[in-house]
Amino acid sequence: MRALSLFCGVVALGQLFAALNAVAEEPKPTASNTISVRLENEIKPQTFPRAIKFFIENVVDRSANPQPLLVYKPRGGVFLDRQPTEIVRQALQETLQKSDLLAAERASADYLFTVYLFHFGLDSGTGMEYFGKVDLNVVVKEVASGKSQTVTAMGTAIQGIAFRKKSILKNVEANIDEALEAALRNFLRGTKLRDAVASPGAKPSTATPDTGGAPPRSTGSIIESPYGFFSFVAEA
Amino acid sequence: MRRCYLLFAVVFLLTTLAGAKDHPKFKSIEVKHFSQAEGVELPPEFSDFLFAELRAELQKKKLAEQLLGEDEVVDAADAPQSVILEGSVLEYKKGSVVKESLIGFGMGLRSLTAHIKVLRRSNNEAVIDKDLKVRASSKLDPKQLAKYLAGEITRELKHQLS
Repeated sequence: MRALSLFCGVVALGQLFAALNAVAEEPKPTASNTISVRLENEIKPQTFPRAIKFFIENVVDRSANPQPLLVYKPRGGVFLDRQPTEIVRQALQETLQKSDLLAAERASADYLFTVYLFHFGLDSGTGMEYFGKVDLNVVVKEVASGKSQTVTAMGTAIQGIAFRKKSILKNVEANIDEALEAALRNFLRGTKLRDAVASPGAKPSTATPDTGGAPPRSTGSIIESPYGFFSFVAEA
Repeated sequence: MRRCYLLFAVVFLLTTLAGAKDHPKFKSIEVKHFSQAEGVELPPEFSDFLFAELRAELQKKKLAEQLLGEDEVVDAADAPQSVILEGSVLEYKKGSVVKESLIGFGMGLRSLTAHIKVLRRSNNEAVIDKDLKVRASSKLDPKQLAKYLAGEITRELKHQLS
């Protein structure tokens, strides 16, 4: 009986230590482990055949990340100073404003952007580098006709791993900066945006209900569907 | 004094040569995501990681003035000096830790075969069109193969251009 109670006591003590350890390891945002992501270089969007204005209607987080501010967990963690949606909105707004493509208000815009953020921050790599990825889908809606098209954009960056805490913060920040810049450049200089803007009254977007109205998710691996070859039958 | 002049001349020559070597060969390179043949079982994030590694490697080797993302616009004037890098993963073998540990001599390694194509943007002329195979230890992450493949592609591109 005494042995059993001793055993139970040891187990309970062990669980208590494990819980305390887990609480201690959970990183908390402080001034020393918070980074501020903003665009370092100016992005020049493509030139459009006619003068047009865009307005950012909404930026929606679709990453399903319960801790969007925590970008790196080990070594006390690395946190973002603002929500990823805010960072993307500000970066896109600044870029459009510098190129004189931003409408002052919704009513004066030719096209409305609704940005769906599927990934913002670091993704899993081999463990020997920081792999930054920003993956967004933008629904470009023409105000005049009400028709919309989906434009996908992705930005990636790879930085070498660091060991000192200061270097970790610096590398992670540079990594996400670069990925954000690449994603916005990919969007603003992409042929998909050009096509969406150049062809007024083009096909409406094929938004699926299971993504909550969001456009279909772009997948990294591309295995061509054989059914695509027979799409002309349905159209005919 | 004469020796000093000679040393300066050698240093000047070497820096000039090094500068000439680093001059980008292309105006722009557009990297596309690699597709996967049916039956290839790689982690879902492999394609994005390979894309990122390729961009990082090409940037490091300074093969182009600009590295473009997928489907970015290019000025018509720059098209003859711009290329598109695309490819597909044809085969992936997981390897075996047991074979690698017990037999060795390259047995049981992970391997990946990819077909790569580098096309000139203006006329679709193939600058490179070949299969590449890379191997890595089966104890390592499969994404390590993406790192090796990106390095191999960059080396091949540099070799073809020299």
